[in-house]
Amino acid sequence: MMKKWLGVFIVCVLVFALAACGNTGNGSNNVSAPEASSTPAEPGGSNAVNEEEGELLPEDGASLVIWEGKSQRAFVEALAQEFTEQYGVPVKLEEVENPDQVTKLTTDGPAGLGADIVVFPHDQIGRAASAGLVLPNDWFGEETAGENDPNAVSAVTFEEILYGYPRSVETYALLYNKKLVPTAPKTFDEVITFSKTFNDPKKNKYTIMWELQQFYYDYAFLATTGGYMFGSNNTDKEDIGLNNEGAVEGAKFLASLKESLLPLNTGDITFDIKKGLFIEGSLAMDINGPWALADYKAAGIELGVAPLPSINGNPTTSFSGVQGYYVNAFTKYPNASKLFARFLSTKESQLRNFEMNGTIPANLEAVQDPKIQNDEITKAFYEQFSHSTPMPAIPQMASVWGPITAGIADIWDGGKDVKASLDNSVAQIKDAIASQ
Amino acid sequence: MKQHRTIAVLLSIVLQGLGQIYNRQWLKGILFMLLEVAGFIYIAPRLGGAIWGLVTLGEKTQKFVKVGKMAQMVKGDHSIFLILDGLILLFLVFVLLGVYAWNITDAYRSGKLRDELKPVRTFRHSYEHATTFYFPYFMLALPALGVLFFTIMPIVFTVMLAFTNYSAPDHIPPAKLVDWVGFKTFTDLVKMKSWSHTFVGVLIWTIIWAVLATVTTYFGGILVALLIEQKGIRFKKLWRTIFIIPYAIPQLISLLVMKNLFNGQFGPINQYLGYFGLGGLPWLTDPFWAKVTVITVNMWIGIPVSMVLILGILTSIPRDLYEAADVDGASTLQKFRIITMPFILFSTMPILIMQFAGNINNFNVIFLLTGGNPAKGDYQFAGATDLLITWLYKLTLDNNKYNVASAVGIIIFLIVAIFSIWNFRRSKSFKEEDMIQ
Repeated sequence: MMKKWLGVFIVCVLVFALAACGNTGNGSNNVSAPEASSTPAEPGGSNAVNEEEGELLPEDGASLVIWEGKSQRAFVEALAQEFTEQYGVPVKLEEVENPDQVTKLTTDGPAGLGADIVVFPHDQIGRAASAGLVLPNDWFGEETAGENDPNAVSAVTFEEILYGYPRSVETYALLYNKKLVPTAPKTFDEVITFSKTFNDPKKNKYTIMWELQQFYYDYAFLATTGGYMFGSNNTDKEDIGLNNEGAVEGAKFLASLKESLLPLNTGDITFDIKKGLFIEGSLAMDINGPWALADYKAAGIELGVAPLPSINGNPTTSFSGVQGYYVNAFTKYPNASKLFARFLSTKESQLRNFEMNGTIPANLEAVQDPKIQNDEITKAFYEQFSHSTPMPAIPQMASVWGPITAGIADIWDGGKDVKASLDNSVAQIKDAIASQ
Repeated sequence: MKQHRTIAVLLSIVLQGLGQIYNRQWLKGILFMLLEVAGFIYIAPRLGGAIWGLVTLGEKTQKFVKVGKMAQMVKGDHSIFLILDGLILLFLVFVLLGVYAWNITDAYRSGKLRDELKPVRTFRHSYEHATTFYFPYFMLALPALGVLFFTIMPIVFTVMLAFTNYSAPDHIPPAKLVDWVGFKTFTDLVKMKSWSHTFVGVLIWTIIWAVLATVTTYFGGILVALLIEQKGIRFKKLWRTIFIIPYAIPQLISLLVMKNLFNGQFGPINQYLGYFGLGGLPWLTDPFWAKVTVITVNMWIGIPVSMVLILGILTSIPRDLYEAADVDGASTLQKFRIITMPFILFSTMPILIMQFAGNINNFNVIFLLTGGNPAKGDYQFAGATDLLITWLYKLTLDNNKYNVASAVGIIIFLIVAIFSIWNFRRSKSFKEEDMIQ
């Protein structure tokens, strides 16, 4: 008897298994059926109503997920709580570091697994927008454009559509230990002079460091003397300026620093090692961004910040980025998401983020705030910001980092010919772009 | 007299289950029929769309339309979901066709019984028969379906990606469509200079790595095991414990620690060398030394496994063989070559092969220790120590080149499969089960 019932049971399971397979197919079929694809996304009706009332209301029963990096947790959680009190929409934070977000969104977004609100540096906006992963910042577009620094606004805009809600602007500058360096050097010659009395690799004492493995920092050396990433304001993917005369001159200067300043290989300097040395006082100067401030302040260093030392008399050009919130195009609650993205990026919020984490606001009024005007560190970052180039945002950017980093490693570690190495990197980049 | 079987088969061909009903197997017939009806209701309206999706991979792209102040998203076709949906449906059709074939043979069998004037099984009887004689098949039916949808289908899906142009930034759905490009991705891998150079370079290093990593850990393990098992060695347990420790620490932690130990400037290893007046080595930053480092560290992790394995085998070698050898006056080396080694080889050959195949795909050591670095200027998205598998990781997760990654994945599969099959067929362990003893 037992066996018989077991048999019946198994047949039932089999039938249900088939039915279950059917159901899953049914669920995703909404996307594939040609008829379904032409209808607009569902919440269309409710938006129209809200618009007449002149107010954007969150959807009923909305709940949001936001991806943010570890360092922003306290800020986001504080604001999420206020947002929930105001609108009754719960918000959950999932830790995803900003540079990884677009890659994750590429697959998670359309599959319905992505966060409603994401944060990433603006150089990835081209990738995200051209893949249709983020919603335009339409409802709050005018406010966003009017209140924030025009450069920041154009950074979160792609092909004339505003997508982002700027969170902060950032670039790297010279962080120095006031105990070791009373006044910040103005030129690289001064840095080299200082290094003669300070540098002692045997005792792990170094004058200056930056992450050589990250072209984000190395770019400063190539760009100050005339190199550039893409032509016509970083939008022309055909014109790559990383091996022009200026770039070669800059790279030669960069290579010359190995002997006098940093007799190390590129791979040996990591963010954490550098941080450790700076905190224990073995490193006098650190080229780093505002994201390092919290740790350094907590370690009790007499921290000073100055613009980067000039090269050959020219102010050093750095890369700048704009961090912004974006709304996932596949969010179930676009209204609530837009409200929260806006909530996180108002003047007050940007100022609070500055107080909590030292991020530099993009909001024009926030910048005029005495708290920021009287802050030496932020002022120095702003000065460097005025000499910076925004990172290119075109989707082809993704093909640049790998080859050019390898090129710099060839020059710095391998001592290879500067011109040949840069030519090679550019050829690689062109190949990568061609095979898209 | 073949009437019944012919009619039953014909009826079953026309409508699944009809033959069974004709054979007076009512319940079975109705179940078959219901299954076919359910299948038809589900598949018929979707099949056209699924085939359209698989062939075209979508025609409409997603866009934004302004509705008042708000931009509305108009959904387009998502090529990747179209492939998946199409595959699911085709697999379902495939399963139902199997049931259809089963229904026909079943009708034939019952018809044949009737032709031979034997009684046809009742439903109850069929169950008893099935659960007695075909019970394992019933139990395997569910896992088989699972395997079909959760193992085979993703593989087929991945293979299909290699024949598309699914890559950033121009072919990433939903805003852009993906197209079939046939073998272009494969030909690009061979023809386009930067791709082929990277591919060949990484492939060669992968094979060198797999051979060296397997051989060093294997013979290292044998050496350590033999030393510990030598007569007169004291504190055997202590030695075993010490040598197994590296294996007991999670690689995720130990490798990241190693990464810091081997740092060229700030790592303790070079600092120690400095105390002895030796210059440090660029452990992780020079292409050659980085390769040496990963192999060395891999030995540290891999030797314990081989050691434990071989310690076990050593205890199973009959003592009298050695005693007989002693009587014959064999030297230690002879005893090792003629008794110990064949025993070890015979017992470990299958594992050795698996280790080799596993080392081809040894992601952990490379990814955590060097991350594929040092960077190599003439490689496309790869560094000097990148294996095919870590290169593949970089292609998908860092650069969204899903099509190239998929093609590389297929190639890795072929390499591993060919090596494994070839080895399995050649190793004696699988041919003569009683070679020794």
